[in-house]
Amino acid sequence: MMRSGFALMRGLWLSWLQYRSFFFILAFGWMIAPLIYLFVWSTAAGDSSIAGLTRGEFVAYYLVLIIVNQVTYAQTNWTVGDLIRYGQMNQVLLRPIPPIFDALASEFAGKVVYLVFDLPIVALLALILRPEMDFQLVNALAFIPALALAWALRFFWGYALALLAFWSTRADALLTLQDSLIFLLAGQVAPVALLPAGMQLAARILPFRYMVAFPVEVLTGHLAGADLWLGFAAQGSWLILAFVLYVVLWRTGLRRYTAVGG
Amino acid sequence: MRPLHLIAAFMRASFQEESAYRANFFISLLTSLLNLATGVLGIVVLFGQIEMVQGWTLAATLALLGVYLTVSALRQLFIGPSLEALAGMDGEIWTGAFDFTVLRPVDTQFLASFRKWRWFAVIDLLLGVGVLVVAVVLLEVSLSLWQILSFLLTLFAGMSILYAILLAFAALIFWSPGVLFTWIFDGIFQMGRYPLGMYPGWLKLILTWVVPVGVITTIPAEALLGSLTPTNLLTSLGLAAVLVTAASILFRIGLRRYASASS
Amino acid sequence: MIQPQTTKQSPLIQVQNLTKTYRVPIRPEGLSASVKSLLHPQYSQVTAVNGINFSIEAGAMVGLIGPNGAGKTTTLKMLSGLLHPSAGTATVAGHIPWQRHPDYLRRISMVMGNKSQMLWDIPPLDSFRVLGEVYAVPGADFRRTLDELIDLLEMQDLLAKPVRNLSLGERMKCELTASLLHRPAVLFLDEPTLGLDVSMQLRLRRFLAEYNQRRGVTIILTSHYMADVLALCPRVILIHHGQLVYDGELNGLARKLAPFKMLRIVLSSEVVAPEDLPPLPAGAEVAALEGNILTLRVPRAEAPALTARLLQTLAVADLTVEDPPIEAVMDQIYTEGAA
Repeated sequence: MMRSGFALMRGLWLSWLQYRSFFFILAFGWMIAPLIYLFVWSTAAGDSSIAGLTRGEFVAYYLVLIIVNQVTYAQTNWTVGDLIRYGQMNQVLLRPIPPIFDALASEFAGKVVYLVFDLPIVALLALILRPEMDFQLVNALAFIPALALAWALRFFWGYALALLAFWSTRADALLTLQDSLIFLLAGQVAPVALLPAGMQLAARILPFRYMVAFPVEVLTGHLAGADLWLGFAAQGSWLILAFVLYVVLWRTGLRRYTAVGG
Repeated sequence: MRPLHLIAAFMRASFQEESAYRANFFISLLTSLLNLATGVLGIVVLFGQIEMVQGWTLAATLALLGVYLTVSALRQLFIGPSLEALAGMDGEIWTGAFDFTVLRPVDTQFLASFRKWRWFAVIDLLLGVGVLVVAVVLLEVSLSLWQILSFLLTLFAGMSILYAILLAFAALIFWSPGVLFTWIFDGIFQMGRYPLGMYPGWLKLILTWVVPVGVITTIPAEALLGSLTPTNLLTSLGLAAVLVTAASILFRIGLRRYASASS
Repeated sequence: MIQPQTTKQSPLIQVQNLTKTYRVPIRPEGLSASVKSLLHPQYSQVTAVNGINFSIEAGAMVGLIGPNGAGKTTTLKMLSGLLHPSAGTATVAGHIPWQRHPDYLRRISMVMGNKSQMLWDIPPLDSFRVLGEVYAVPGADFRRTLDELIDLLEMQDLLAKPVRNLSLGERMKCELTASLLHRPAVLFLDEPTLGLDVSMQLRLRRFLAEYNQRRGVTIILTSHYMADVLALCPRVILIHHGQLVYDGELNGLARKLAPFKMLRIVLSSEVVAPEDLPPLPAGAEVAALEGNILTLRVPRAEAPALTARLLQTLAVADLTVEDPPIEAVMDQIYTEGAA
């Protein structure tokens, strides 16, 4: 009787879990790479420090990165790209609301579920791993706009890329390339300051750092004065560019889509 | 003799199926190269800041990456595709075509393990072995016969453990379709890119005894580098024997359940 | 029940008291009931097959008929070794099917109308080659058997096309070929003509009949199309609610279970409703009335007498006496159950 009770409980738990499990597993997957580098860098720093960062500071950096990455992650390839690829764009276009609101809605809904998974785990890890952070109110205040701009940049950039599906269904290959660039230049493989010279320059010029690493650097207090303002300027510029790109691609893509007949 | 003929037939049919989709080739190639580049660059960036981490140098860690890529490639060559044809998203159990597989006069586990070959993985395999070769060259040591033999032995043991884990997850489909353990495992398996020594103590234990990722990648790397301890060798072999047996038993129990409970 | 004649040679297939029951958990509705079921899970027994017996000689063609959920496919799966029975025994070609001995599996084959055993993206020939290897068919035999099947099924132009580009009928030809490459002694067919157009159905039936004659393959077939069963199976086994209800000729079934004759009367003038008919003799039931065509159902034994009386009471322009259509008989059995 015990066994069958457990079996039924397991069955119930599994069916509840199966619905949420899809989201949780996605969130889990996005967490793995930052975690690996959290462990690797903190072990490497050991009792001393690397480039001025102690073990605890690496831990803090990556824990914040996990949350920032989750908040800014662009799902537009699925919410927009797939719609175009699978010919479902017509239904969306018929609605009186611009399709972008659809994508935005999915953004917020999805992010909430992911964060429900992420936040407890990050909190638990913080308890185990003992991060060290020099918490300054001014950093926290700067963090909020940095995070908001990072989200907006990653969203519009992602949306623009997803719109390339209007021209070629194989455009999602670009995503693989982008994932690699984000991994290398957006603070995942290492904090940007620790990258070798060439890569660091690329990171500071290209938009990827401003999608993830920049807010993290702001909060963990590693940016000050000129660096901070330069960062915001670069972030703002890339955001404007991404938005323009989105508008242009949307208009031309739509024209092409409706001309071709969906 | 006959198992080999059979595998050859499966290899041939799989190659024909794969060739039917040419467009994917270049995208797969791009993905493989990017995967390689990010892996190598990750290590380069790390060792740009520090000489050695827990006894692992750049060359040694590169060797580990080579093992990881080789193991991943071998998995994608036949173990992964075959088990997925059975238990994956579009697998036979879902479509109901599994009945045909059960009807064949060939052992079902054999069919489930060797039936589908993904030839593109040979390219991944070459890349992985390439990284291994580069790492060994950078190490500037000549490999002894024992190092090579123990490497092959522990690599085989590691692949067997990986096979056992994936077989066990596939077998779970006889009880509960839609189990997503393989995805979770894939996430944890990523940790095999870096040496066990670079992870904290509690994680090391988990990655040895709970999800033996460390045994699959780190131990063969140690063998190649000449730092393999007898304990680790025996652990690797013992774990492989135990897990393969357990997974096979689980699979057979699952088959029995399928023959009793399905309608 | 009519049993087939037993010959000196023991039958190829012998089934005794074959039973299959399933334990299905009862899932209650409502919160408190769910909680209760958590602690005290309830199961109900579903009997799919309930103690059936039959034997089949080598080379026979037998139809397994019955409504959906009757237990036909379950029986077929037990005979092919896919399912373990809950009770009873079966011997097919000297083996116990669910022991799944490789020698046994080499002697049988199964075709399922709604599932495919072909590899999808490549020409059928490549799937055949793999199967030839799986069943260890020697090269020369493989070539010969394949050529024969290609010829019989007229498959020459199909061989180079990927299976996913084939029509349903063409694909079914491939499924049949695939199932016969290793020259099985027994062929199980589960709804093989499902979804096929009429001409393809005819062609496949012709093929099955011919192959059975030529090669002596024992064929057991389930089908919803009575035409299949009528055309191919001198003997039918009717399974209803998991029990064997009839075993013998199909026409015998109609005669036994629906001891009626249909009287098709063309009346001289149109009759709008049954009430407007003059009173009919006892035993005659109105089956249909359309315009001036009246169809009556009368007991077989009384048909001649009733016909005479009807000719007196009704203004008849034409009258025919027919056996009830098989579908109607089956329909009656399925809904009312066999007497």
